[in-house]
Parts: sequence; structure tokens; C-alpha cells
Amino acid sequence: MSAPAYSSSHPADGEATPAAGAGLRAAIRTAGFVGLALIAVLVGMSDVVAPYAADALHVGAALAPPSALHPFGTDLLGRDILSETLHGLAITVDYAVLAMLVTLLAGGFAGFVSARLPWGSGVILRWIGGILGAVPALLLAILFIGITTRDLAPLAAGLAAAPLAFVRAYDRAGALARSRHAEYARATGILSATLLRRDLVYEFRDTFLANAARALAAVTITLATVSFLGFGAVPPHRDLGLMIAAARASYLEAWWTAAFPALALLLLILFARLAAALEEGERP
Amino acid sequence: MNQSGSFLRLRDIHVGRRGAPRPQLDCFSLTMAPGEAVVLLGEAGCGKEALMRALSGVPLRGDEIGGTLQFGETEPERAGRRLSQLRVAYLTGPRACPLYPNASVLSQLVRILSTRLDAPRSSARAELELVLGRMPAAPTLTELDKRPAKLDAATIAWGLFATAFAQTPDLLLADHPLTGIEPVKMRAFVDVLKSEQKRQGFMLLYAAMGTEVPALLGGRMIVMRRGRVVEEGPLSRLSGAQAHAYTRMLLRDRAPLASETPRTAGRGEPVLQIYDLELPSTRHKSAARPRDRLTFELRRGAALALVGEDGSGRHALARRIIGLERVRSGRVVLDAVDIGILSETMLTRLRRRVAYITGDDHALDPRMTIADTVSEPLRAHLGLPRDIISGYREAALKRVGLASLPGTRPVATLSPFDKRRLQVARAIVTAPLLAVLDEPLSGLDAFAQSVMRDLLRVFRAEEGPALLLITSDFSVARSLAETAFVFKDGAIVERGPIAEMMSAPKDISTRTLVDAVRMPETPSGGLS
Amino acid sequence: MWVFGVKAAAQFAAAVAGAFLLAAAVAALPASGHAGSIPGYLAAWLRQMDLAAHFDFGTSQVSGLSAVTELTRGLPVTLELVGAGALVAVILGAPLGVLLGTGRRLRAAAPLVQIVAAAPVFCAGLLLLWLSKRFLGWQGAGPMPFWTPLLHGDPAVAIGFKALALPALTVGAAGAAAVQLALRRAASLAMEAPYRQGLRLMGLSGFEIDGNYLAPQILAGLLASLGEIALALLSAAAVAEWVFDWPGAAVLFVKSVALHDWSAAALVLLVFAFITIAADFAGKLAAHAIAPEEVWA
Repeated sequence: MSAPAYSSSHPADGEATPAAGAGLRAAIRTAGFVGLALIAVLVGMSDVVAPYAADALHVGAALAPPSALHPFGTDLLGRDILSETLHGLAITVDYAVLAMLVTLLAGGFAGFVSARLPWGSGVILRWIGGILGAVPALLLAILFIGITTRDLAPLAAGLAAAPLAFVRAYDRAGALARSRHAEYARATGILSATLLRRDLVYEFRDTFLANAARALAAVTITLATVSFLGFGAVPPHRDLGLMIAAARASYLEAWWTAAFPALALLLLILFARLAAALEEGERP
Repeated sequence: MNQSGSFLRLRDIHVGRRGAPRPQLDCFSLTMAPGEAVVLLGEAGCGKEALMRALSGVPLRGDEIGGTLQFGETEPERAGRRLSQLRVAYLTGPRACPLYPNASVLSQLVRILSTRLDAPRSSARAELELVLGRMPAAPTLTELDKRPAKLDAATIAWGLFATAFAQTPDLLLADHPLTGIEPVKMRAFVDVLKSEQKRQGFMLLYAAMGTEVPALLGGRMIVMRRGRVVEEGPLSRLSGAQAHAYTRMLLRDRAPLASETPRTAGRGEPVLQIYDLELPSTRHKSAARPRDRLTFELRRGAALALVGEDGSGRHALARRIIGLERVRSGRVVLDAVDIGILSETMLTRLRRRVAYITGDDHALDPRMTIADTVSEPLRAHLGLPRDIISGYREAALKRVGLASLPGTRPVATLSPFDKRRLQVARAIVTAPLLAVLDEPLSGLDAFAQSVMRDLLRVFRAEEGPALLLITSDFSVARSLAETAFVFKDGAIVERGPIAEMMSAPKDISTRTLVDAVRMPETPSGGLS
Repeated sequence: MWVFGVKAAAQFAAAVAGAFLLAAAVAALPASGHAGSIPGYLAAWLRQMDLAAHFDFGTSQVSGLSAVTELTRGLPVTLELVGAGALVAVILGAPLGVLLGTGRRLRAAAPLVQIVAAAPVFCAGLLLLWLSKRFLGWQGAGPMPFWTPLLHGDPAVAIGFKALALPALTVGAAGAAAVQLALRRAASLAMEAPYRQGLRLMGLSGFEIDGNYLAPQILAGLLASLGEIALALLSAAAVAEWVFDWPGAAVLFVKSVALHDWSAAALVLLVFAFITIAADFAGKLAAHAIAPEEVWA
């Protein structure tokens, strides 16, 4: 048969231009990733950029306000806050990335695969995920650390954020497996293994970066809070949460001791959340 | 009621979308006499929707509307807002989902009516009851007092019709009100539309996708394409040989019935054998009656149509035949294998040679690209090398007319017509033994239906699978199959060659189905 | 309705049972923090399950009080924070969510709210503390009676207000973020529904449609997210207790875990999980009653 004479239909004709919001949203996402990349560069070079080594005591006067010599001021023990913030940021980012990987693996990926497990086992896992997800992630993380040790804080934060990610991925995978296009595929002889591979590929392509960024924001908050409460990083490895906790005694008089670490933390979380930019799907 | 006998004059109506290169409707002028019916016919996006918006006075955000409207001897007014003297009622169909899903249909219709009539709810309700009462097949008020999902399409459509009539409009804008209604039920609606028009004398502007309603409705017809009028005139002239090529394409399937020469059926080896299969129970059927049992054989190259109304048990039967649902009694032998003894995985493997083309627009994975959709069966079933796959894929896409689209385009961005053709391309590459066509033309406009019908005919001729067609439309059955089983409430009421059924139906349900697609005024000229 | 209710009730019961199992598992942890054989642990778990069935979570080895007694001291403080926070969350979050969810241009700008939402709760709390000290001269005071004086018109209400305002605002801000998010999600789904254009074409005004149909649909979406919102409020209250020195249940939890005193920790976990699960259940039921055709994830 020769090629038919009719052309393809033209859905684009006469249609309005896409909503003005789409462009802005893309810009916001890009800004988030650029910010994260900048932070990554800063973290990679923190040992070079920071004027002083980590935990170097008495490099200046105690509680000196920001000056040319110490742009972010100094803390109670005379440590340069700029250097401390950079080192703290590096540790926070290291821990957070580790925790994020745990969340993605034990949460998202496991949830996605569990939905296809033979009947019974997936439902039980979903049930357990639902129960753990009903407890604030912060308390879960503290519990894990309490059972194990403080050195495992990244793992604990990752596991604490995993139940919600698990449940979400499980439900999504279930909806995909029950979708009409999945039934159509089965009716034309596509095996479930092929369908699972198809779903994994497309979900990975469409949502991996956003999910990773969202998990990064969530575990960063949990990690910093856990450290703030004294369950996280072990000195001399001071992360941002620990720095802010230490500054609690002095910050009412010397605001800079807490403000700069908090600002660094806030920027990290903000960029991660902007990169996720999942307007409708995100969770607190 | 349009007692003034005033004409409605539309001049140079223009509808564009902000930022779009081409207007949706360009320089449209029309004069309507009191009590006149005008049918707008064309593909989706041909400009009839834009005209409806311009006349309804409720434009979409971003619409740029130009031109004037003049009703009677008043001053011409700018189009795009409601005219003070002209009462317009808008009528749409259940397919457009115009009602809030979580509230009862009745409460919404009463609210609309009380707003439009500026009357209290109770009198709006009484008015609605009155109008429903004079329509023979319409439901009662109590029957309408349910959420839309609990009602079938025809019941909702009756409610929408009654609401429109109760407004006693000067102009009734019918925006595809019968899309998705089965042909059997369509006639009753058209009859009511005609009688109400006679009674109230309103002008009727009817936008249609297919040709069934225009044929029943009569009146002036305007064929439109890409925002412009192709030609206009009475149906009898437009279906003649002198009409524009595009019009002839749209109206081709209105050729006199039973004109096709029957093909020779059953020439190949048997693909599908059904022994003593119990028909699935349906929601209409009383449980007390014993179910019918079914035995038949479908050979390669043969085609069987399962014709019946929605909910008559055809879908469930087709699902059992291809093993999506397990058979409880009886045997289904597909490609010489009894599917009752196969495991789920083995059954899925067996279905590799089954093509499935459905009217469901969500059947294809919206995330996949055009190229992936067509090559997936080749890759998953046969593991062919990449270059051979791409060769098969391009050939198949060319045959269905999608080769000009970039292969990387996601399915989600395609129109329903393109999705339907993509299903055909996917079916072609699997070289199927059995093809199941499940309402393959539903929801398409006349042009797309005509093209799809051609594609499926060619698909059948070239691939030669055994063909199982599910439809509620005898004209579709006639053009794609030779034999048919007619279903009614989960039972088979008639079986045999379609040509015979169309000329001399034996059962009353068959007669209803055949009559539904037989056009009242057979065009004089005929078509080549 | 009945089918949905029975199903939701079954899920609720299963989740509560699971929360009990979780609490028993925590209570059965060895006090030493380490060691203990697996069979021994399982036996302890079973024993704890039996005890938990009678609401007996053992005695705190630190204070010598029963876990339930400890909780009854801390829980009212937490609930007061959560309640006041919920009030603030609705007052702040609802208008924000509706504005950002329904305004076309604002919808695109919604991610910018993240700038505020990105601050971890403890940072926000510390900032509020600093601001109030600096500009209002307030001192962190710990919990003071507020509601009773308020009801009786007692002048002590001012002191109570000062004590409650900052933590409530902290928790409320976190809750508001969750509320506006749930609203935005519900609104953006509802706004796409075809009925809005359909009813408008048939003659209803936009005001009528939004008031009668859109608003309930969005409200149902908000209710369906009640569990999520409760979780956000509880999380924020846990941090606010620590920052503002309110000796509530979360502080009890943190101290218990630090001392490996598992009985109180288990009970706090159980109560927190129960609040979230119950809020989720109640919210889903209410949402279904308002909008039975919607499917809530």
C-alpha cells in the first residue's frame, strides 16, 4: 500500500501557547540545580577556600563580630565562623548525600519493586511502611541512632525518610500496574518483566532528579535537626546542626554565631527544594 | 420562544487564540431563519467549537473574538458576549463531562435552570419535570437524582436535553450532544430535538463529528475544515457526486447499505475455536435465566462481528477469549492451544500474536514515544537487531500515515486519531493471527472514522488475521466483517451473514440495531 | 459510602495494630543498648505485646515512674502546641494555599514559597526567639497557663500568651506550609476538571460554580491530606518543645532514647503514630463524604 494521502492531524494549530507558568517553573528548577552545583563545588574546595583548618581554636578573639579579618566573625572559642561554616557544610552535604542514597534505595526503589512482588509480601511491606511513615521522621531517626550509634546518623536519617518514599513509590507502581495501558500491553502479550522494566526506565527518567532533590532536602532537615538535638555528628566532626546547637548559648548576644551556619543550611535546603519543584507531588 | 420571527445574522466571526499562528475560525458569516436547523460538520478543531464559544458568550481565557451578531432589527453587536435580546441555550453531551462528579445530576440541572430562568428552584424543578414528561424515552426526576457516574450516558443526555429545552431559547447551540451515545438510542434524541424545534421554533446550530445525526436531522449543512467553510447546502446535494472532495470523503460511509460484496470467509486454518463457552453474566440480565452457551470457530482471514448495545456482554466475552479473564466453563482454543490450562505467563506469551485495537484513548502508555510504541513488541517478543526493527517500524508508520511525525514524540502529546493509528501500526508489526477490534472508531470525527475504516480494511487484507470486531454500530460491522452475532442482555439473539441481517433481520433487537444506521433519506446520486 | 467506610476502618485498625507492634518492639529493646540474642529479643517482644494490650508499657528506669504517668505529664504540653499550631496553620496556610492554587499567575510562583518553607523548624524557632528578645524584650518562659485564664478573662492571660505565642507560631508556620501545599495540590487537580467550563457554558456564573462545587472539592482534598498535616504539626511540635524548653512528649522521647529508657519512648511513638493514623482516617472519611467520586492517593 502506498503512503496515504492524508496528513497527520494538527493538534498544535490554533492551540494556545503553553501556560506561562511552565517556563518559570523550569527556570526555578534550573536555578535549584545550579545552586546545588555551586554548593557541591564549594564543598569540594572547602579545605582550600576556608582560611583556617576545621576546629582551629583561638584564631581570633572570642565572639568577635564580622570584620575584614573574620568576615563571619568568631565564636565563643575564637574559631573563625567562615571556616567552620564551610567545613560544617561539607560534612552536612557528605552525610546528606549518603542519607539521600539510602532513602532512594530503601524507599523509592524498594517501594517500586515491592508493588510487583507476588501477592501478600508487597502488601505487608506497604503496611509496615505506612506505620513507620505515621511517626515523624525526626523521632524515627533518633530511635535508630539510639539503638545503634551516633556514627550511623546518615544511615538513620536515610532510613527515617524511607517509609514515606516507599509508600509513595509503592502506590505509584500499583497505579501503573493497574492502568489501562498496562492492561492493553498484557492483552498484546507484553510480559510483566517488560512492563516493570518499562516503568522503571520512564519513572527514573521523569522523576529521578526531582525525587533525589526532594529526598536530599528532607534528609538534610532531619540530619541537621538530629545534630541540633545532640544525636548526629560526633565532634570534632561538626556539621551545621551541631554548630547551631553550640551557638545557642551565645547567639542572643552575638547573632553571627548562629546566623551564618543557619544561612548555609537554609541555602542547601532551598536549592534542593527548588530543584525538586514538584508543585503538586511534594510532601512536607 | 422565537415568536418574533427574527433572523440571526453572523458577520465575519473570527476566533483566534492569543499567541497562536492560525485562527481557529476565520471570516465565518451565516444567516439563520427562525426555526431553521444548521449542522456544522468537520473534524475536531475545524472551527465549530470556536464558533460555539463565540456564540455562547462564554469564551475561554485567551480567546480573541471578532465580528458581529445581529438579531432581528436590533443594532449589530460584537460577538463574544451574551446578546440582550437573544436567548441562547447551550446543549452538550455526557462525553464532555460537563457536570460536577460529586453532586446529583438533578440538583445541578435545576440550579442551571433556575439561574437561566431567574426563577426559584422549585419552579425550575417543575419546569424540568414538565419537559421530561413530554419526551417519550426520558427518565423521571427521581432517576436523575444520582451522581453522574451512577447514570449511563443516555440518561444524562436526556437531562441535558430537557434543561436546554426548558429554557425556551431563541437559539439552541448543540455542541456534540450525542457523541458517545450508541446509534440505537440516537434516533430517539433526534426525534425529540425535531419535535421540540417544531414546538418552540428555535434556531438550531448543531455541531457534529459523525454523519449519523446530520442525516437524521436534515436541514442545511456546513462542512468546515481548519477554520474555514468548505461548502454548504442541503445534505442531498452534498452527498452527490458534484460535492467537494473533502465533503465526499466525510460522507462516503453513508453509501447505501448492503452494497458490499461479501468476501469469502473461512479460507485459512482455524485460529480460534470456542467450545461450549458460557456467556458472561451482565448487569441487565436476571440471574434466574440459564446463560447461553457458545460454540464457534474463527479461521484465518475470517471476520466475526459481535454487535450489541453497551453492557450486553460483548466486552466480557472478548476478554475471556483472549484470556484476560479466566473461563469457568467451556473451552477456548487459541492457535491450537487450550488457554484454560496455561499459566499466566504462558498465556501472555501466547497473546504475542494477538493484535488489540481499542477505542480507549488511554490504551497506549503516554510516556512512551511513537517509535518505542511500535518497536516494543518486536524488541520484547523477537529480540530482533535494531536496524531490522527500525525498518519494520518505519514501514508500519508509513502505512498508517504517521511517518511524518518525529519518532521521539511522546504518545501523551498525540491526538486521539493519531493514537488510534499508532495502535494499528503496533498491530501491523506483530503479524497477528487474531485481531480484536474493540469499538475501533468510537469517539472519532467523520474524517478520522473514514480514514480508520480504510486502514483497518487494508490491515485486514494484507495481514489476513482472524478478526473479532466488537461494535454497537452495524455500519462498522458491515464494512469490516462478514458474519455477526447480535447480543442482547448477555444472550445471542441472532447469528449469520451481515448482508442477510441488514436486508432481513429476524430478531427485533437486530432490527433496531440495523434501523439505527439506516439513513432516512437515501442520497439520490449515490457514490462511486 | 459503606464500602469505603468499612475499607478505611479496616485499614485504620490494621495501622493501629501495627503501631502497637512497633511500640512493643521498641519497649522490648534491651536497656543496655547492645547485646541480647535474637530469640531472647523475640521473647521480650511477645511479652511486651501482651503487656501493651493492657496499656502497660513498664516503668521508667530513670525516674522510677510508670511510662504512662510520664506521658500524661508531657502529652498535654505537646497537644497544646499542636492545637495552637493547627490554629495558626489554618489561619496562615488556607488563604495562602487558595491564592497560590487558584490564581493563574500565582500558581507558577508557588515554588517561591519554598524560600520560607525551606527553613528547618529549629532555625525558625531560634530566629523567632532572637527577634522577640531583641525587639519585644520577651524571655523564653516555658509553658504557662493560657487557655484557662483566657476563658475566665484573667489578666494572667498575657503571660500565658507570651509563653505560647512563639512556639505556636513556630509550629504553625510548619503546619501552614503543609496546609497550603495540600490546598494547592487539591486546587490544581480541581481546576483542571472539565465541569467548570461545562457548567459555565450551560449558564452558571463562575461564582456559583466555584462556591457550590469547586470549594467543596478543594476542601475534600485538604481533608484527605489531614494525616500529612498532623504529621507535619507533630514533627514541628517535637522540635519546638526542644527549642523553647517546653517539657512535652517529644522531649520525653529524646531524653528516654538518650538514656536507653525504652518504655517511655515506645509509648510516645505509639501515641504519635496513633494521632497521625487517626487524623488520616478521619480526614479520608470526611473527604469521601464530601466528594465520593474522587480517588485520594
